[in-house]
Amino acid sequence: MDFFSSIIYGFQVTFQPVNFLFCGVGVLVGTLVGVLPGIGPAGAMALLLPATFSFSSTSTIILLAGIYYGVQYGGSTTSILVNIPGEASSVMTCLDGHQMARQGRAGPALGIAAWGSFIAGTISNIGLMLVAIPLAHAALRLGPPEYFSLMCTGLIIVTYLAQGSVLKAVMMGLVGILLGSVGLDLISGFPRFTFGINELSDGIGIVPLVMGLFGVSEILENLEGDLKREVFKTRIRNLWPSFKDWMDSKWAIVRGSIIGFVLGILPGGGAVISTFVSYAVEKKVSKNPEKFGKGAIEGVAGPESANNASAGASLIPLLSLGIPPNPIMAIFFSALLIHGIQPGPLLIKQHPDLFWGLVASLYLGNGLLLVLNLPLIGIWVKVLEVPYKILFPLILLFCLIGVYSMNNLSFDLYVMLFFGVVGWLMRKFGYEGAPLILAYVLGPMLENALRQSLLISQGSFLIFVSRPISAVALGFACLLLLTTLLPNFRKRRQQYDQFKE
Amino acid sequence: MKTLDWTSSLFWLLVSILVFAESLRIGIGTVQNPGMGFMPFGASGILGILSLVLFFQTALRKEDVPHKPLFAGTMWRRVLFVLLVLTIYARVMPVLGYLISTFLLMSLLFWVLERGRIGYGFLYSLLATLFTHLVFSKWLNCQFPHGWFGF
Repeated sequence: MDFFSSIIYGFQVTFQPVNFLFCGVGVLVGTLVGVLPGIGPAGAMALLLPATFSFSSTSTIILLAGIYYGVQYGGSTTSILVNIPGEASSVMTCLDGHQMARQGRAGPALGIAAWGSFIAGTISNIGLMLVAIPLAHAALRLGPPEYFSLMCTGLIIVTYLAQGSVLKAVMMGLVGILLGSVGLDLISGFPRFTFGINELSDGIGIVPLVMGLFGVSEILENLEGDLKREVFKTRIRNLWPSFKDWMDSKWAIVRGSIIGFVLGILPGGGAVISTFVSYAVEKKVSKNPEKFGKGAIEGVAGPESANNASAGASLIPLLSLGIPPNPIMAIFFSALLIHGIQPGPLLIKQHPDLFWGLVASLYLGNGLLLVLNLPLIGIWVKVLEVPYKILFPLILLFCLIGVYSMNNLSFDLYVMLFFGVVGWLMRKFGYEGAPLILAYVLGPMLENALRQSLLISQGSFLIFVSRPISAVALGFACLLLLTTLLPNFRKRRQQYDQFKE
Repeated sequence: MKTLDWTSSLFWLLVSILVFAESLRIGIGTVQNPGMGFMPFGASGILGILSLVLFFQTALRKEDVPHKPLFAGTMWRRVLFVLLVLTIYARVMPVLGYLISTFLLMSLLFWVLERGRIGYGFLYSLLATLFTHLVFSKWLNCQFPHGWFGF
């Protein structure tokens, strides 16, 4: 099939009734999750994953993708109207978005966030189509040493970009690798670290782990404090931005899209970092940087474009290399495995319906989000007004249902609660969950690649530096780690943390 | 923060020692033919070293902020209560079935934050239980336990 036939084929797949429905449900659920602080995209995906077992892998991935970029849209509503980021990727939108709302410009803020997301999402989809296929072809030449080095680099980037201490992030990565090694050994088939518990033979499930670390821990943290939040009361009008707003935002959207796309492809990059970078760039290039933080529309357009572009781009390493670049893609990775599909260079060739269906669904979902969300903004505002004391039991119930229905085992509920407490304590002690989740998913692959490489080289670690791609990847990773020791870097990192505070 | 970092570094050091010992027990193999303890052996070794680095780094760090107890000024009893209720739920759900145990769980969770309005709590609990049963069990075919009472 040539390129255009493939795209048409993708739309044929997406417009099948069940896939169309899943795309619509995905973006709506994603927006809802984005609007509500608490459950998060990873949790929402994990929740709906068991419900997709009776459907095809293509429908499942379309649903999960819909949730992922729906979340990026929905998060902006909470940021603008409540000044609380619905998602981590909407933190920067609070700064100027909420100020715009306070100045009676909630409509243009929401409008430019939606349009910026749409444009960036479309640019990112085009990039995905153009980059994923050549990258998958190139990846066919990679062997275990290259995969080992690329995965190591991905993990190092995640820890490098972590909020707070790099040392703690590396430690969490190592804990993730250890958690990933629980269960049957891939090569010998013997159990390890199962402590005689049969349910651990298949390893620790990703759904209870993610739900615990992200969902339950956040609820526990919220329960400790005051649960009141205030929705800024304003009449939302003029959702279509004015000509001046467009002129002010156009380059911010373009720059945000490019930044989001590039950082989204990088392992560990993801939506959150891209919004920080985009905001910083917009402030830097602006003729009136003093406007930022006081309601500058570029401060909304840039980050909102960046997070959506990044959402699409992060599918590239997963679909073409089989390496999930962030924890959310790790859920995608697990979903594909559950449906019997091995993500990697052969995925596009062996499952064109999945790849092209997904690409077409990204276009469709972006359009649906724009068509549905702007008219539905009143409903999302109403959702925001639901008190947290009513929401929290419901979010907990959804977490419990999602985890239980995965294997119909009460044991999984205990695992989720255990990691909920672990995650809650991690937040208190200043440890991040993201490196742990990514390392947990990459751990078994990393181990496999390491052991295969050592078998090939007959025990020589030089195999990792004697092959060019592997050497470059490892060199880059070492360089990143070394920069954390430089005083200049430390100072910049402190400034970065203060900026985020 | 210093006390927290010391405590956590010692905790991870302990974890690393336990995993390190278990890796040796299950067999790390050789470099030519790595065994199933090889990777955990390496990862736990590095984790142990980094825990020590964190410990000593914390000791050398100057901190002006006075130590604040971890749970000071927080409603930690509420958290403990919710955790206890959830643990009991996980235990009794297979026995009582989804509908009864979930209704009881939701009633307790709503009661935690809305003690004055028990009637509303029961109503929300009933609605949430029936709604999730309808969506997940009937429409999405998730298998919930029926328990002793058969529903």
